Amino acid sequence: MVGTLHLRSAPAVGESRLIRGTLIAIAVVFLSVFLLAPLAVVFAVALGQGVAAFFSTFSNPDTLSAIWLTLVAAAVAVPANLIFGIAAAWAIGKFQFVGKGILIALIDLPFSVSPVVAGLTYVLLFGAQGLLGPWLVAHNVHIIFAVPGIILATVFVTVPFVARELLPTMAAQGSEEEEAALTLGAGGWQTFLRVTLPNVKWALLYGVILCNARAMGEFGAVAVVSGHVAGLTNTMPLQIEILYNDYQFVPAFAVASLLALLALATLVVKSVIEWRIARRGARVT
Amino acid sequence: MADCATGGACNVSIAIRQITKKFGRFTALDNVDLDIPHGRLVALLGPSGSGKTTLLRIIAGLELADSGSVHFDGQDFSDRTVAQRRVGFVFQHYALFRHMTVFENIAFGLRVRPRASRPPRSAIRAQVEELLDLIQLRTLAGRYPSQLSGGQRQRVALARALAVEPRVLLLDEPFGALDAKVRYELRRWLRQLHDDVGVTSVFVTHDQEEALEVADQVAILNGGRIEQVGAPDDVYNRPASSFVYNFLGNVNLFHGRIDNGTAYINQEATGQLVFVRPHSLEIGRQPSGANYFRATIKHISSAGPVVKVDASTGWGAPVHVEMSQARFRELELRTGEEIFITPNDLAVFADEQRAG
Amino acid sequence: MSSVLRRLRKRSIIPGFGLTLGFTLFYLCLIVLIPLSATFLEASKIGWHEFWRAGASPRAIASYELSFGASLIGATLNFVLGTLVAWVLVRYDFPFKRLLDSLVDLPFALPTAVAGIALTTLYAPHGWFGAPLTAAGIHVAFTRLGIIVALTFIGLPFVVRTVQPVLEDLDRELEEAAASLGAGRLQTFSRVIFPAILPAVLTGFALAFARGVGEYGSVIFIAGNMPMRTEIAPLLIVTKLEEYDYSGATAIAVVMLVVSFVMLLGINALQSWNSERENMSVEQPVALAAGVPV
Repeated sequence: MVGTLHLRSAPAVGESRLIRGTLIAIAVVFLSVFLLAPLAVVFAVALGQGVAAFFSTFSNPDTLSAIWLTLVAAAVAVPANLIFGIAAAWAIGKFQFVGKGILIALIDLPFSVSPVVAGLTYVLLFGAQGLLGPWLVAHNVHIIFAVPGIILATVFVTVPFVARELLPTMAAQGSEEEEAALTLGAGGWQTFLRVTLPNVKWALLYGVILCNARAMGEFGAVAVVSGHVAGLTNTMPLQIEILYNDYQFVPAFAVASLLALLALATLVVKSVIEWRIARRGARVT
Repeated sequence: MADCATGGACNVSIAIRQITKKFGRFTALDNVDLDIPHGRLVALLGPSGSGKTTLLRIIAGLELADSGSVHFDGQDFSDRTVAQRRVGFVFQHYALFRHMTVFENIAFGLRVRPRASRPPRSAIRAQVEELLDLIQLRTLAGRYPSQLSGGQRQRVALARALAVEPRVLLLDEPFGALDAKVRYELRRWLRQLHDDVGVTSVFVTHDQEEALEVADQVAILNGGRIEQVGAPDDVYNRPASSFVYNFLGNVNLFHGRIDNGTAYINQEATGQLVFVRPHSLEIGRQPSGANYFRATIKHISSAGPVVKVDASTGWGAPVHVEMSQARFRELELRTGEEIFITPNDLAVFADEQRAG
Repeated sequence: MSSVLRRLRKRSIIPGFGLTLGFTLFYLCLIVLIPLSATFLEASKIGWHEFWRAGASPRAIASYELSFGASLIGATLNFVLGTLVAWVLVRYDFPFKRLLDSLVDLPFALPTAVAGIALTTLYAPHGWFGAPLTAAGIHVAFTRLGIIVALTFIGLPFVVRTVQPVLEDLDRELEEAAASLGAGRLQTFSRVIFPAILPAVLTGFALAFARGVGEYGSVIFIAGNMPMRTEIAPLLIVTKLEEYDYSGATAIAVVMLVVSFVMLLGINALQSWNSERENMSVEQPVALAAGVPV
């Protein structure tokens, strides 16, 4: 980092205590209202009628299959996008070529597109009236309104996550260590596994965690391709919607609390990673 | 004529033939030929942009030349990959594997060998420990690169490169990133190491003092071409061009010319330049002999092993003279005094900027 | 002979270029490009007239206005408050600061449906915030105000996380120099500090805005979803699909896609402006802290 190191004493140049206090108060109130409160209300309602009511949610077979489907979708989307992310980060980060900018923009695309639109594109491709519709119907292959469609939609919306975390890290680390490994006789795969991968492990982990959080929590895209067939094509977010619209608040929030816990776990992992990186960074002379 | 490049008899470890490399419109190397003798420590010396690092990387296989060839022990290696060339490369910023300990870094080259030729773990351990003793870092074997000083990292990088028993050792500005004192120590240590191990070595530097002190042979590059190759003594005392003269050591420049074997120093431009080293100028209170010019002392810097005197000639040209402490005390020079300067040794080259 | 071979070889000595680039392009085509082009293909089949009827119907226009308008307001709120939060987190110390700092990413990690029902429950007439607000005559749930609240929630991390690293890297000496030259604190902020962080703030703003326009899950619960009043564009698409009006849905989707592309290009431009200004150095905590992937 550029710039001189400043010791952590009170800066001689700064705002008055009053202003400082006011700004802190505004920030804390803003964050509490917008972040803490929604989080708290999830658990408050979920447990609002006691622990027994909370747990009875998970004896409902429809809810259980929703959880199962969510896990399946994540189990496909995360590894697929992990491999993609590594390949893309390697290609873009270690080499120079024309069209890098366009490629990066393409990778960002699923992120900038509304999830509903994302779902729609799959319906237009694989739906009964879609481009491939007639062929699929003829071969009795169901994608839209069935599990494969949900998995595909989940993969689509989580494409950028791992790549965008890995890319700056791989690019910034340059290729010197890889060149050194080559001079020492290592082959391409050996270099990647022994030298590159360990260096990007935290960024990789964080990308995977984010990818997973989004995969499990995706709503808009999956809502469009799913068909809402209870017990078959519902993921956890869809199940939440169904339960909520049915005024079954405790079950809805109970499922929601699981996802909220996942979100909290994601945040915890992120903090740990940042702490690790900062610690390692402080050691470098 | 049979020579090393065509398979003839040779004592040459590396033969570089007509290497050219361009980056876009910038020509980094222009038809470079160089022979690196077996077992020697050769310096590639030159200013930034002279092409020396590019040449080193082409030898290693880390860059591909646009044309030309590189031969190791008589065989053309131009199309072989880095790994196939078995060169030990020490990077300017060490490129140590940051997540591996010192031990693991050094052992890396041995561990990635294909199963068939990989030595057993005990043999690897023995070899690494031997190298750790060589670089005197046995006690730091379990440390990570971030826990080492610059000089220590450099030594680890060297040991790592030596572990694979390379046919040639290539070092890219090995001491560039270190403090002055550490640099001096490591310089000497490298020379000693080379004498012990005996592997052909090439190192790149922009520090002429370093090249002259450490190397058996110096190749001076400028603008992608080789200006001169020779022993340090040769290139310093018998420079082949004004660039070499200027680059190695301090120099005083005067307008002047050679006429019938006699050199003249002139006040105006003559299309030629006279080069004199600061320590080849004699200062006296009286004119001695016929070869002298007048000057006035402007500044004296007397702290240090060598006393430096800055003076201004009668016609306003600056002169820089160096002498020993003993001589200085003898003369008892003061600022503002008028003195007579006699050159002992000089060279005349065409003034490249004015040459017609 | 060897020079011929050389010309055929790869440019860099690091291996794997062909393999990784090839796979990347293949995957992108399969998962992203082909489905997206299906949309445009379908749209082209619709014909201009129908496209215009569906994509520019009063109801559609109302939904665009709502989606864009509410996102704009939400992003503006985050522009101001997000910068403030970033400032407070970087410059000051206070109890639970670390906790709040980690929580800033919550809207990013939390599934949108969960956020949706949580916000609705909070602001509904009997909710924790809804009750006092309704008593004061301010209705949030099922109104446009509710949509703005939801979009502010969604966009919160974007400004904060893009501004934080820039603030952290800001050289204190600049402020000290300004003070030594006689500038008051507010002057220093407006003339020295804010211009330096402006690219980051704008980038965050653009990201929050872009995200808000396409947002679905967190909005539809709190919105009320009345056509022409509280119906966002993505919901209109879903409604059309449920009515089997594929061409209508496609038309609106294409409009949103085009807008997304344009915003994507704008954001990328802003981001490169931001990173030029910031002179990105090597250490990666910066990238992770702003690890809000675009």
